[in-house]
Amino acid sequence: MSFLVAAALGVGLLIVFPIAAHLLRRGKARERAFPPAGLVPAARSVARERATLEDRALLSLRALLILCLAVIGATPFVRCSRLALSRDAGGSVALALVLDDSHSMRAQGPDGSRWELATKAARELLSSAREGDAIAIVLAGRPARLALAATTDLSAARRTLSELGASDRSTDLSSAVGLARTSLAGLSHRDKRVVLLSDLAGDALPEGQPALWTPLPDLAKPLENCALVSAERRGRRALGRVACTSPAAAAGRAVSLVGAKNEPASPLSPRAGVQELTLELDPKLQHPELELSGGDSLKADDRAPVAAESAALGVLVTADTSNASAETGGPPVLEQALSALDGNAALHPMALLPDDPNELQNDALVLLDDPGGITPEARTALMSFVEHGGVAVAFLGPRAEQTPLGATLEPFVHGAVHWETRTPSDIDEASLSWLGPEASSLHDLALRGRAALGTSDLLGARVLATFSDRQPFLSERALGRGALFTVALSTSVEHSNFPLRPAFLALLDYFLNEAQSRRGAAQSVAGSDWQFPATANVVIEGPSGSLPVHERAAASGGPQKSSSPALAGRYAVRTDERLEERVVTLDPGEITTRPQKPPSSAARARGANDGQNVDASPELGFVALALLALELGLRAWRQRGVTSAPARRSRAS
Amino acid sequence: MSALRRALDWGKLAPLRLRAKSVADGVYAGGHRSRRRGAGIEFGGQRSYVPGDDLRFIDRHALLRHGELLVRQFETETDRTLCLLVDASASMSYRGEQAPGPKYAFAALIAAALTKIAVGAGDRVSLDWLGGERTVELSTAGGREAFERVVGALETAVPNADLHADLPALERAVARVERRASRGSSVVVLSDLLDLPTGAENALSSLGVRGKSLAVTRVLDPDELSFPFTGPLHLRAMEGNARVETDAASARPRYLAALAEQDRAWSERLLRRGGSLVSLGTGDDPVKAVRKVLDAVGGLG
Repeated sequence: MSFLVAAALGVGLLIVFPIAAHLLRRGKARERAFPPAGLVPAARSVARERATLEDRALLSLRALLILCLAVIGATPFVRCSRLALSRDAGGSVALALVLDDSHSMRAQGPDGSRWELATKAARELLSSAREGDAIAIVLAGRPARLALAATTDLSAARRTLSELGASDRSTDLSSAVGLARTSLAGLSHRDKRVVLLSDLAGDALPEGQPALWTPLPDLAKPLENCALVSAERRGRRALGRVACTSPAAAAGRAVSLVGAKNEPASPLSPRAGVQELTLELDPKLQHPELELSGGDSLKADDRAPVAAESAALGVLVTADTSNASAETGGPPVLEQALSALDGNAALHPMALLPDDPNELQNDALVLLDDPGGITPEARTALMSFVEHGGVAVAFLGPRAEQTPLGATLEPFVHGAVHWETRTPSDIDEASLSWLGPEASSLHDLALRGRAALGTSDLLGARVLATFSDRQPFLSERALGRGALFTVALSTSVEHSNFPLRPAFLALLDYFLNEAQSRRGAAQSVAGSDWQFPATANVVIEGPSGSLPVHERAAASGGPQKSSSPALAGRYAVRTDERLEERVVTLDPGEITTRPQKPPSSAARARGANDGQNVDASPELGFVALALLALELGLRAWRQRGVTSAPARRSRAS
Repeated sequence: MSALRRALDWGKLAPLRLRAKSVADGVYAGGHRSRRRGAGIEFGGQRSYVPGDDLRFIDRHALLRHGELLVRQFETETDRTLCLLVDASASMSYRGEQAPGPKYAFAALIAAALTKIAVGAGDRVSLDWLGGERTVELSTAGGREAFERVVGALETAVPNADLHADLPALERAVARVERRASRGSSVVVLSDLLDLPTGAENALSSLGVRGKSLAVTRVLDPDELSFPFTGPLHLRAMEGNARVETDAASARPRYLAALAEQDRAWSERLLRRGGSLVSLGTGDDPVKAVRKVLDAVGGLG
């Protein structure tokens, strides 16, 4: 406390004067000479009582008035627990509120959940915003989202804030902070700030400007928690995945099947990280759930529904093991790459594409390596599969020009395909830039040939990437809810070293993601997008009721519907007449990631924008004026009472 | 500047000499007629004969016409003595916020104006005191010099004495007045009639007997007449030890009733002895106040 603060607050000591005056007056009425005092009747009790009552009201008013003046004097220096925006330059402020709505923010503390504390702090900051301030709200749950673009409409910001809620998403701090900085970039305000209201349990915070301000450091205290992140059926058993923050959190706890009293619980091993446990399932249970015993900071994640066995993404692979395998042996390169990419993908290697659509029912992705033609029955089955949300990819090789009679490469390519051996050695990197940095690895390929795809052969497909001579390398054709991809190279290392480049893995990952988003994985992490055809009638029921389905533009340009379940649990998804069950799980990293320390820039920002000084002078000024008016009114009322008494007497006489 | 002016704030009533002359000029100051009837020049009416009357004044015309024995009366202008008894006790020094001056100052002004009028009519004036400091008793005297002496005595006196329990002092003052006042004299008592000892009513009313006219003039402050105070009060009498703690609003009606009752009691007692009570407030017009007193003693009748 500075000298100025002490001096300003010292004004409050003046309260002793009205108190002393009150005591003096109350103690004894002032004696005055009056010759006919002997004619005046005594009324001691009435006089004392009246003086006491009236003086107390005046005393209270005067004391409050003095206290108000003292606080007004000290207000600019008084530190208050309420968050507020300081205005060093006195001008408007552009403020980006980054609210972490990830699962870890649901942890309960003595003052409420972390999410509640964060939203309360955001409300306090908003309440101190003034006309002209720009507010943006960014949510740091994965994926990071811009809940409100920067606006000077403070009521819109308050409304948006009131509509937000906690979720089970994982944390995406770096993207959220980047989004917040981007949202402020175009504003003309000189004073720009990014406020991060998070437990900081996520990826590293990026350095940059405006510097971060983390006004709630208490949120970043580590918590002890174990969570059942997912559970899925494996035959007659259930496989539960448990993530723990520390050995202490896991000690003495066990996973059991809800409702099965006879089944023994599986104890956790006392260690941090993710561990898997297997329990016997009770066949009588229609919707089995696993439960974690004991208690911790987050009760909401101690229970998880058991997803169906088909929850893993099914991938059907047809490859000629003689051509598509590496010389060192083992499964084809395609299968090895898929195993390396996603351990949860269920691979179904087949020599030929099945003719029966039902055989493709459990798959979301069909990969055809160097197909030698597709029979009409297989084509019908494949098209049905794609129209219902499947993704099919054809890696064309030399066999593409050797299709037998009656077989074609439709629906990928129309007509005959020529395998040409004189080819450029590079893929146009710019055309494949959407794939990411791995696209740069597709240069100087040792190509021994490629499928020559004319634009007319692609059945209206969209070319996604080209060779350096502008010939199509990768094309996409939308069909129903699904998509068909055609690659002009095979996965055989005998024809090129394309499958050995990082871009090959990136491309496969892209196909897997497409398949997952289009087909809708039966088990997905909270915050993942579920996509549906624009024409489909979609109704989703989840743990918190109906889930909204939004219509938006797809990556391919056409409209589509999508929904993003934010809470973990079991969902019933009805698409037209088809009903399916999906389970949303937690990201284990959200549980095991420990809070990080704020970056040094955040500390500097805190020092620079010490916004916890609340200037309540206007409000206190109004209070002081009201008290003054009250005192004047009281005194006038008393005076009127005194003067009206003789008037009444004179009228009576 | 005299010692009195240092001791007493005369307020708007100063200077006494000029104010008294001004007041006296405002009052009709013609020669007052004697109440003594008998030998004289002007016919003053008739009355029934009583044994002992001078037979020279029997109205023979009335006897012949009506057959009744009537005696003719004549009025004559004659010298009268004005005996002033001024209260200079401590309570007379009271001055309220609305008053132009202390009660003593107002009483002194009335006394001085009466003196001026009396002296102007050729009457003689005496001055006596109830209490007070530096008081000078003036024996009966007339002429212009008498006025100056009365005014000087009034200015010199300082109201300061506790008569509350001092009945002998009051009786001594009354006895002095009785000695000076001959038959036909006018006795004017100027007092607030407050804090006087028990028996003061009898002593003062006795001044109205034996052919003297008595006017007891009660001089009160506007505060004493209206009790304008508010809130809690702690009052102390200026004579005696009376102290009272009260609430103004609730005490006011009962106080005013007690004051009115006291007035009524004084008035009845004086009327029984041929005297009269004149109530004045220090805020009253002094000219009208003097006229009231003169009316009470029959000066302008």
